[in-house]
Amino acid sequence: MTLDELFALSKVPTPIELSQEDLTRLYWKHRGLLKSQGRDQRFWDATNKNLRLAYERLDEKERQLGKAYSIIQEDLQVATRIQAALLPVPTSIMERDLEIAVYHKQLTEVGGDYYDFFTDESEAADGRNADGYAIGVFDISGHGVSAALVMTYLKAMFAQQMLRSTSPKDIVRSVNEAAFDFLRGIKKYATVNFVKFASKKIQYVCGGGFGLVVHGQEVFHFERKDPFLGLRDRAFRQYEIPFVTGDLLALYTDGMVESQDAEGQDYTARRLNDLIALHADRAVGEIVQCCVDDYRAFRATDIDDVTLLVMRRKEAL
Amino acid sequence: MSTSEGQLVVMGATLQGFAQACVNLNIIAGRETSGALTEIDIMSFVPFERLREIERIVLMVYEDSGPILERVGFEMMMGWYRFGPGKHIVKTGADFLRFQTGSQGYASVVKGPESKVGIFRLQELDEKKGTALIHSTTPFEKNLERGVIIGGMTAPGDLDYVEVVNTQDPQWFNIEFH
Repeated sequence: MTLDELFALSKVPTPIELSQEDLTRLYWKHRGLLKSQGRDQRFWDATNKNLRLAYERLDEKERQLGKAYSIIQEDLQVATRIQAALLPVPTSIMERDLEIAVYHKQLTEVGGDYYDFFTDESEAADGRNADGYAIGVFDISGHGVSAALVMTYLKAMFAQQMLRSTSPKDIVRSVNEAAFDFLRGIKKYATVNFVKFASKKIQYVCGGGFGLVVHGQEVFHFERKDPFLGLRDRAFRQYEIPFVTGDLLALYTDGMVESQDAEGQDYTARRLNDLIALHADRAVGEIVQCCVDDYRAFRATDIDDVTLLVMRRKEAL
Repeated sequence: MSTSEGQLVVMGATLQGFAQACVNLNIIAGRETSGALTEIDIMSFVPFERLREIERIVLMVYEDSGPILERVGFEMMMGWYRFGPGKHIVKTGADFLRFQTGSQGYASVVKGPESKVGIFRLQELDEKKGTALIHSTTPFEKNLERGVIIGGMTAPGDLDYVEVVNTQDPQWFNIEFH
């Protein structure tokens, strides 16, 4: 029997008789297999060693990432608290003149929706001078820390301009002029809804925001033809709407109205406006809750920051 | 040949074989894989530096890169024999050694200035005793070359035993085969 015939068998025959030549081949085949096995072993040892090192490096990277994530989380928590602290509370004059209810929810820890109450202390100090305060609602493009930083920037700009002018269109134009290059540079823009309260009326500038006034049986929707802040360097138009005792004013960003249900249908501004008008005789807190409940029942998921302010004039100014 | 004069170049097919062996053995992965295998014209000569880049990845990633490069060289020659022109050039393990006479095998895949290209030459061959000696002054990594010799001699399948040792002097490969 030759060595090749032996290898072709499935069982070991007895007795095995091999020639010297085949025995020599068997010897070298055995040695060759041992060599090959040794080379395989060295290859796998090197591979396993590398795998172990890779896991160690991965562990180290994970530790570093965990540390970095923890720092970011801490920073975000601080940013959340700072942003919450920057949200205003109504001044005593506003509280005397207006019933106010607010729903404000950021999509992430910090966000781009922002509202503010502005007061010109020198005018407000006169007691019942309604020209002394204004309300702004803004939606900065994008979300997160960058939008929040733009929010603080705009807050400061509006506060500054309130001291220099009493006209809403001049205030908004001045802020836009001053912020235009900066906002363009960082590729950000912001919708603006700036409302100044005057005797028996409001004056507003609206660039991309949403607003309506329920005046008796009439409903006035805000003109939304002006540009966003940071989008065009041009003048803004100012509008007036009567606003007397019992009238209702609602201001909101696009978070609610651009949400969609599971079938992809939009919530729409019309639905929200109709809801507000329908419940206009209820307390402002109830109106806000009613809108929020309707939105929550409708939307498949939150896709944006949501801000809704509803206020009613308590008495004639 | 689209490479500049005086540059060390390697046959695209050799680079392809080297890169493919690295990929098959999962030695390089992800982004490096696609980079290693893209735009290799197997019929043209390409800069030797491209091969060196892949080699550098292996040397950087593996602390003990010797056995890895040896396996890459082995797999590269198995591919050369099974899927390339190998089986038409060599029929036995000893043929592979004879193919290295006067560096002819090496010269067919690497070109460049004499000072850079070096030699890969069969110095001695005793088929009866099953011994041979190859002298190499090429720029290839010597563990890789050891794998190339083992793979090139093993691929035809007629040898039961192949051992290549260059521990005393990396440029001199002492070969025993049966």
